[in-house]
Amino acid sequence: MTAAVPVIRQTAALAWRSIVTTIRLPQAWFPALFFPLVLMAIFTASFGGAPGTIPGFPPVRSFLDFAVSGAIIQGVLIGGTSAGAAFATDIEGGFFDRLVASPTSRTSILTGRLGASIALGVGQALLFISVAAIFGARVDGGVLGIFIVVVIASLFAAAVGGLGIFLALRTGSGEAVQGMFPLFFALLFFSSAFFPLDTMVGWYHDVAALNPITYLVESMRREIIGGATIWTALTGIGIALGLALITVGASALALRRRLRVAA
Amino acid sequence: MSDQAVETRDLVREYKGGVKAVDGVSLTVESGGIFGFLGPNGAGKSTMVRMLTTLLRPTSGTAIVAGHDVMKEPDVVRRRIGVALQDAAIDPYMTGRELLRLQGVLHGMKRADCRARADVLLGRVDLEDAADRRVGTYSGGMRRRLDLALSLVHEPVVLFLDEPTTGLDPVSRVTLWDEVRRLNVEHGTTVFLTTQYLEEADQLADRVAIIDGGLIVADGTPKALKARIGYPLLSVVAADGSTPDDVARVLSGFGEMVPGARDGGAAVRLPGGSTAMADAVRALDDAGVRFAEIDLAEPTLDDVFLASTGRHLAGSDDASV
Repeated sequence: MTAAVPVIRQTAALAWRSIVTTIRLPQAWFPALFFPLVLMAIFTASFGGAPGTIPGFPPVRSFLDFAVSGAIIQGVLIGGTSAGAAFATDIEGGFFDRLVASPTSRTSILTGRLGASIALGVGQALLFISVAAIFGARVDGGVLGIFIVVVIASLFAAAVGGLGIFLALRTGSGEAVQGMFPLFFALLFFSSAFFPLDTMVGWYHDVAALNPITYLVESMRREIIGGATIWTALTGIGIALGLALITVGASALALRRRLRVAA
Repeated sequence: MSDQAVETRDLVREYKGGVKAVDGVSLTVESGGIFGFLGPNGAGKSTMVRMLTTLLRPTSGTAIVAGHDVMKEPDVVRRRIGVALQDAAIDPYMTGRELLRLQGVLHGMKRADCRARADVLLGRVDLEDAADRRVGTYSGGMRRRLDLALSLVHEPVVLFLDEPTTGLDPVSRVTLWDEVRRLNVEHGTTVFLTTQYLEEADQLADRVAIIDGGLIVADGTPKALKARIGYPLLSVVAADGSTPDDVARVLSGFGEMVPGARDGGAAVRLPGGSTAMADAVRALDDAGVRFAEIDLAEPTLDDVFLASTGRHLAGSDDASV
């Protein structure tokens, strides 16, 4: 048996366990689906007239088309927070110790949880696109556009998952990870997730212009509302990948540190 | 196979701030037995177990578990040991069967083997009926039994149980004891068990070490430890016109008197145990001494604990750090 096989099987088994426990715990998945959809609906109803009337608003068929990518990013952020909290609960509750005291590869402890985050992120992206489509939204980029949106969503899910795992490993407390949630939410509002960058003014505009989430959302949004190029797609994928590498790398270091210092 | 399940030399674990939870423990646990590691809360039991199960790096010293060094070959050790840690909150949203199969995969077992092994273990810990229920619906005793089963998936050579019955009701406790005994006798698994219950160590363990303040203060078979305390204590209460002095005069021929051990009577350390007790009763009768109460008390592990640490074990939390 090669060394890679157990790691893949362990990763799959642990990802499966994370997904199953998420699905069986409504508190874990409901907010990640409900809030983005509700906000998408409220904003669409409130600002349905914005496209074409507000200066700076990009040309778009409807506000709904505009809102989908923000919902995806929001859903992935909430989902990642839950994943981080669940990982912290594993540490608090002893599941983590059981893994560490068994020959489970240290890699799959991370990749299992990340795999679940990615799978759930893909599911969210597809669900939000589908729900929006029922209400008349369309993806300008077609199948390829959807594919690119899903790729960005999955990489961003890995990035948020990595951040959640990092925080869980450093704090060891589900409540502490959950407590980061308002901060993530602020990060979302200081971006173009809900409104275009060009309608913002003053320092708020400047902050949003520095926020990487702005560029993630813009990249996905182009695929949906039109105007995408290979460069807008690569920008989104690149930023999501970069964020994922940073947070997953940090979580890998945090795991090593926790195992070395070990309490 | 090595004949020592656990062998530590000068094992130390120092936490931040210089607190030594384990302060130079040298311990040898032979293969095949049930070893009871007894001590109050905060004595260093769990720290010791965490080091032996590769969860915690010793500050200094060595530990060989199941024939391998926990620092140099942690992965080999992990494949050979089973671990059920204190208060392990088992995933409440998974079923017992799912968790057992998952544990099998994590140990690198084939899918079919995982299924078969899960079925066998569910039967063994009597959880067949609850196998497909979520663990959240289990009672405390059922969770501990599942925890035990989880630690046995890969047929470990040495099993570590950290306070396996803390918080359990007496019936569940006895059920778990039976299972641990069966495991030891039928499967030859060496069991390293920590407990703060004297009775548990007494009932289960064929060897006991007492840890207090990070140091081993007593180590031996329960019988030998108790024998070290001394002989059983025979106490007799005088009645019907006989005086404590009358009783004392007769008993003094049987061993060392313990003054003040019994109000209204007398007490003696009886080297002959229960056989000598019959002789003592006959002697009292022959001397015409009348008595109301008579009892023979074996030394307990609590006496051992008291003699080793100067404190009673029961309810003593003052040693916690």
